[in-house]
Amino acid sequence: MERRDFLKNIIVGGLALKLSPGLLAQPAWPELAVVEGESPAAITREALKVLGGMSKFVSRGDKVLIKPNIGWDRTPEMAACTNPEVVRALVEMSLEAGAKEVVVMDHTINQPKRCYTRSGIQDAARAAGARVLFTDEQRLKKMSLRGEWLKEWEVFQDFVEADKLINVPVAKVHSLSRVTLGLKNWLGAIGGNRNQLHQKIDQAVVDLGAFFKPTLTVLDAYRVLFRNGPQGGRVSDTRLQKTVVAGVDPVAVDAYGATFFEIKPQELTFLKLAQSRGLGKFELEKVRIEKRAV
Amino acid sequence: MKREQSKKYLWLQRLRIFTQLLFFLLFFWLFLQTHYPGEDYLKTTVERFFHFDPLLLLTTLIASRVLFAALLLSLITLVATLLFGRFVCGWLCPLGAVHQFFSFIFKKTRWLKPKKDDRASLVPKYLILVLVLAASLLAVNLVGFLDPLSFLYRSFAVFISPLLNLGLSQSGNLAYLLGLKSLGQAASQAQGNLALNGLFQNALFIGGLFLAAILLNAWKERFWCRYLCPAGALLGLVSRFNLFQLEIDPEKCINCHLCSIHCQTNARPYPAEDWRSSECIYCETCAAICPTAAISFPLRLQATRMKGVDLNRRRLLLTSLTGLFLAPIFKISPARHRSHPALIRPPGAAPEPEFLARCVKCGECLKVCPTNALHPALTEAGPEGVWTPVLVPRIGYCEYYCSLCTQVCPTGAIRELTVEEKVTVKIGTAWVDKTRCLPYALGKPCIVCEEHCPVSPKAIQLVRVETLTPEGTVATNLAPFINVDTCIGCGICENKCVVMDLPAIRVSSIGEHRSSRNRLVLPAVEDQDRLRP
Repeated sequence: MERRDFLKNIIVGGLALKLSPGLLAQPAWPELAVVEGESPAAITREALKVLGGMSKFVSRGDKVLIKPNIGWDRTPEMAACTNPEVVRALVEMSLEAGAKEVVVMDHTINQPKRCYTRSGIQDAARAAGARVLFTDEQRLKKMSLRGEWLKEWEVFQDFVEADKLINVPVAKVHSLSRVTLGLKNWLGAIGGNRNQLHQKIDQAVVDLGAFFKPTLTVLDAYRVLFRNGPQGGRVSDTRLQKTVVAGVDPVAVDAYGATFFEIKPQELTFLKLAQSRGLGKFELEKVRIEKRAV
Repeated sequence: MKREQSKKYLWLQRLRIFTQLLFFLLFFWLFLQTHYPGEDYLKTTVERFFHFDPLLLLTTLIASRVLFAALLLSLITLVATLLFGRFVCGWLCPLGAVHQFFSFIFKKTRWLKPKKDDRASLVPKYLILVLVLAASLLAVNLVGFLDPLSFLYRSFAVFISPLLNLGLSQSGNLAYLLGLKSLGQAASQAQGNLALNGLFQNALFIGGLFLAAILLNAWKERFWCRYLCPAGALLGLVSRFNLFQLEIDPEKCINCHLCSIHCQTNARPYPAEDWRSSECIYCETCAAICPTAAISFPLRLQATRMKGVDLNRRRLLLTSLTGLFLAPIFKISPARHRSHPALIRPPGAAPEPEFLARCVKCGECLKVCPTNALHPALTEAGPEGVWTPVLVPRIGYCEYYCSLCTQVCPTGAIRELTVEEKVTVKIGTAWVDKTRCLPYALGKPCIVCEEHCPVSPKAIQLVRVETLTPEGTVATNLAPFINVDTCIGCGICENKCVVMDLPAIRVSSIGEHRSSRNRLVLPAVEDQDRLRP
C-alpha cells in the first residue's frame, strides 16, 4: 500500500466514523446497575444485562473465581452470608459466557463445612456447575500487597491465579467499619491473623481492595442485616431490600450499598480512602446509575 | 497315621480373620462417620459398638444408679457369651483385632517375637474388673481407662485422627510441590469434608499408651487380652457355661504341643482337661494348626471349672476392699467440691458427679466436635476425670448451631439435645481482662470478640471507654462489656481474640447451667425453674 493511499484511507475512515457516531462507538453503559425484584436470581441476571451482559466481563476459556461471603454458620434467612441464588445466577452466567471453570470459595470464620453447607451456597453453586472448594492452607503464600498499611500478607493463591474475579458480598452492618460490603469481603481471601486488621480496619480494607481488583462486584442486598452484624442470629435482625447492586467500580458499589443503612457514603472513612487511592468514586451523583425493577 | 490339618477349622480360622477385619473396618468407618455430616443430626448411630459392651452397662449402671437404655443391647453380648464363649474377643472386638494383628506381625520378626512359654498368671484382668466394679459401688467410674472400646476409640480420636489429618495435609503439600494441583486440591477437600481434628492436648500421653499397649504384644502375644482387659474378664466369667467345649481326640493327638504354643490367649488347650474355657476366645488357631486334626469344639452341655485361673476368695476380697478404699481417695480431690475454672463441659453434660459416674472417656464427643474444641482433661476434673471431655476455647469453640457432641455419647453422660435446646444451654461465662484488652489497655480499636459473638442480641455489648495515654491524650474506643445473663460461654470470643497467648477475653465454667453451685448470679424468679439443671 502506498503511503498516500494509507493516509487517504485514514482520513476518509476517520471522517466516516466522526459523522456517524452510532456506527462503532460503544454506547455509554451504566456504571452501576441497581435492580429490585422478588427473585434473587432474576435481579442478578437483570443487573448483569444492564451492565452489558456477562460476556463483557467473562471471556471464553476464562477461569472464574466467585468470592461470596460464606463466613458464618448461618442459613440464608439470617443474611449473614451471600444469598445462594445470587451466587447460582452468577455461576450460570459465567458458564454461559464460556468460562472454562468457575470456582466458588471463601475463607470462612466458623467451621468451613458448616458454613458451606448451611449457607446453601455449596449446593446452589454446585448445581449450577461450579466447583465449590474449601480454602487450603497449603495454598497460602505471603505476598507483597504494596498497601499503605499492609505491606505483605498471606493470600490464598486461587484468588490471584484466577483470570476473572467476581466479588459477591452481602450487605451487613459492622460495629467498627459501620458496614461490611464489597471491599471488606476480601478479608475472606487471605489467611493469617485476620482479626488484627481490625486495629486499622478502614486502611486494611482499602489495601486489600487495591490488591485484589475484581472484574466485577455484585452486592447482594436481597436481605440486608441491619442489626447484630456481621452475623445476626435472628430473622428480625434482617430486612428485605430485594435489591442487587452491580458494577465494575467497587467503591461505587459500596457507596450505593451504604445507602441501604441510611449512611451517606462520605461518612465512611474507607470509601474516602479508597477513592483517594484511585479505586473508584463514592460520589454517587457522578456515577451513571441505572435502576430497574423486575 | 495320616498327617493332615483339619480343613473345616482352617476355613473357620480364615472366616474368623475375615470377620475381625470386617468388624475393625466397621469400627473405623463409624469412627470416620463421627463428624459433621452436612446435616444437623447424625443419621448413623456412630457409637453403636459401645452399646454392646456389657462392662459399660454394668459400671455406669452401678456408679450412676441410672440405666441408659441403649446399653441394654449389651445383654445380647452376655447371652451370646453364655452360649458360645468369649468368641466376641476373638472374632468381633476391634481392639482384639489390632492386638492380634500386631502379635501376628511381631511373631514373624526376630526382635519382637513374643515369648512362647507363658506361666504368668492370667488373673490380673479379673482383679482389674473387680476393682472397677467395687469402685463403681461408691459412684467412682474408672472403667474408661481400660475398657477396650474406650481405649481404642480414644486413641484413634486423639492420636490417629490428627496423624491422618497431618498425612492428608502433607500429601497435599507434596502434590502441589510436584505440580499435581488437582491431587493437592483433592487432599484439602477431603480434609475439609472429613473434618478430622488435628490437635489434642495429652495426645502424646494417650497415643504413647496406645503404642505401649501394642508393643506389649512383643512380650506376650495378645498381652492386653490376656492380662489387662476387664471386659474380657467379665466375658470370661460368663463363658464358663458355654456350649462349645474343646475336645482332643486321643487317637489322633501326637502330643506335639503346637496347640498350646500357638494359643493366642494362653488358654492351654493341651491337655484338654486343663483347657481354660474362660480364656478361650475361639480363634480356632489350635484346631487349625493341629497337624493331625485332633482338636474340635463339639457341643457339650456342662460347665467347666476355671482351671488355672485361680480366683481364690482371699484375692477377690482384697481387691474388692482395695477398690472400696480407692474410691474415697478419688472423692477427697478438691475437684469434687469446687469447680475448676477451666472445666468447661460440653453442652448437655450432666451435673458433675453424675457426669463422672457415666462418662467412659471414649472420645466420641472429641471426635465429632467440628471445631476441635473438646479435649481430654488432664487435671481439670480431678483424678477420676482424667480424659473426660473438656472444652478448650483457645483451641476451638462451641459452634452455636451444633449439637453433635450431645448426639454421640454412648452412656448418656451428655444428654442428647436438639439444636434449639442447645443454643439455650450455658456452659460458662466470658470475662474481659481489661489489662490485656486492646481498647482498655492500649487505647486501640478492636471489636473482634463482639463481632464473633453468636448470640442475638449479642452477649458482648460495646461501651465507649476512654484510655489515658502517657502523652496526656485520651483515646476513645468501643470496648467489650459482657452480659452475663445472655452469654452462653461458647468461647468463640476467646478463640478469636487477637491477643494470642493469653487472650484478653476468657471463658470460665462459672454460671454453667448444669451446676447449681457454680453459679454467679441467682437467676430471676421466673427463670429459676427453667434453669434448674
